[in-house]
Amino acid sequence: MKKRGIGVGCMFYGIGYGFSRQDISSATVEICEDGSVIVRSGEVDFGQGSDTIFCQIVAEELGLRYDKIQLIAADTFTTPNAGPTSASRVTYVTGNAMLKAARAVKSTLEPVATEILGENDLVFVNEEVRSKAHPQKRMAFSKLAKQCHLRGLQIVETAWYDITTKDVDKETGQGDAYATYSYASQLAEVEVDTQTGKVEVLRLIAAHDVGKAINPSNVEAQIEGGVVQGLGFAITEKITQEGGYLKTNSLGEYTIPTSMDVPVVESHIVEVPVSTGPYGAKGVGEPALIPTAPAILNAICNALDIRITDLPADLENLMRLIQEKGE
Amino acid sequence: MQNFQFYSPKSIEDALDFLSDKGDSCKIIAGGTDVIPGLRLEHLCPAHVMNILEIRKLRGITEENGRIRIGPTTTFTDIVQSDMLKQNLPLLVEAASSVGGPPIRNRGTIGGNISTASPAADVLPAVIALGAELELQSRSRGTRILHAGDAVEAPYKTQFNPDEILTGILFKKLPQGTKSAFEKIAQRNAMARAYMNLSIVLRATDDGNISDLRIVPGAVEAVARRVTAAEKILLGQKAEKNLIDKATETLAAEMVGVWIPEYKMPVLRNVFKRVLSSVL
Repeated sequence: MKKRGIGVGCMFYGIGYGFSRQDISSATVEICEDGSVIVRSGEVDFGQGSDTIFCQIVAEELGLRYDKIQLIAADTFTTPNAGPTSASRVTYVTGNAMLKAARAVKSTLEPVATEILGENDLVFVNEEVRSKAHPQKRMAFSKLAKQCHLRGLQIVETAWYDITTKDVDKETGQGDAYATYSYASQLAEVEVDTQTGKVEVLRLIAAHDVGKAINPSNVEAQIEGGVVQGLGFAITEKITQEGGYLKTNSLGEYTIPTSMDVPVVESHIVEVPVSTGPYGAKGVGEPALIPTAPAILNAICNALDIRITDLPADLENLMRLIQEKGE
Repeated sequence: MQNFQFYSPKSIEDALDFLSDKGDSCKIIAGGTDVIPGLRLEHLCPAHVMNILEIRKLRGITEENGRIRIGPTTTFTDIVQSDMLKQNLPLLVEAASSVGGPPIRNRGTIGGNISTASPAADVLPAVIALGAELELQSRSRGTRILHAGDAVEAPYKTQFNPDEILTGILFKKLPQGTKSAFEKIAQRNAMARAYMNLSIVLRATDDGNISDLRIVPGAVEAVARRVTAAEKILLGQKAEKNLIDKATETLAAEMVGVWIPEYKMPVLRNVFKRVLSSVL
């Protein structure tokens, strides 16, 4: 008999290391003579797209096309320390460092543009610098860059950004744990075959408050990846060991979800900007994974009226619980 | 790192010559989906590995004298894409399509599935249910026919002699009105070893009497077989509920004390009932 159920999982998650653990990052922005930009960051992009959003942030701040930004990343010889890619912190901390470095360099450019254009209410947009009040007074960014070079000005800046928190009271747990939090809810619809214990996830809908999605495609991809991991965590992945030896020691034994096991993931990006984030952005790396298993387990409970307290909810586990319930 | 001699004959004759000399220390490889992991994990440490994929005659699906001949190096993809097999041996097509995923099916072969003789094989139980005959050749014995149901003597051990090579799998076409069904249960929907599979072939006469019934569970016993004790309950009878229940219990009783873990028993009963009802 196939039984369906719907379940919801909710979460909030602290961004960064928190609890007064050091959490700093730095970035370097350099304006080249031709108006292109070199950005240096120690951050490792391991597929989540931090390289992309660093270039986006700098391009946005300087009014340039994204492809004008050259990024040198994760080179221990030449790039400044950005801290690890972990704790869902990269957009929030290093993104802020990027923004700060870009603004620092901009503060060198602005007086020069003011001098040349005779206006001080300037906006950087469409690869130009122009006056807000009198838009016909404008110059190409590349020309401004050249001028700054000719004048021997400070057009390379390294900025540091620190989100280290004060910590909480050890007795009460109250205080300043994390710099900010991301929130999410996910909904799963499952179908359980009570004759075999097989769980199919029919639908997965995820809503994540990321403050600001600097790159919505990347955020969706992150959510989808996290959901697949959460699904594996809930249903298919099991580590077994015997006498200290790992028995599930290959991907043949340790079964992660295949494309045939994953439903279409419907992602909803919620943007409630956080004032301390770059353009209001927070983090989504780990949050993507957190509510999935609870949503699936709640859906299984809704379908069968059985609480699973031991993961994964695989064939044996479910069949045993179904038998015990007297299906 | 394994150290073996690799030989790739271009004809059955060359293969037989090689096996007559080196058969005792030789592992045959076709698609390699079982042999390569075996070599990597050092479950297999042969002095020689003989590749048979260059022997064209060993791959293909043909009809001869009203029977269907499938070459041992015919891949699961070949089987799944064969219209002739979809029409005549749908059970085989269903079983083959349940193996792994497209890349595995492009390499894995029916001969390999039989020769590896894994207790969790998906295609071997279907081959047994279809009553296939295996054609084996060697220099010492010439050509001999082995019934598929007798081919495996223990997990990962066939009755094939070291100097023998499987050269064909032969199927009789099923009589009109024969139905079949296959179900595989696994932890995930692709690239998964069978937790359990079940092949059933059934033929009933017009008045509902079951004239032919073959039940072959896979991944529940050490060696897959037709569970004739359960078949006999329904043979010559109409499929009434009390007989189905009795056959189910007989099937379960046949498994107990052999190999099946406790948690698979209710699943076996459930799956048997629903696969059976799909062919009634």
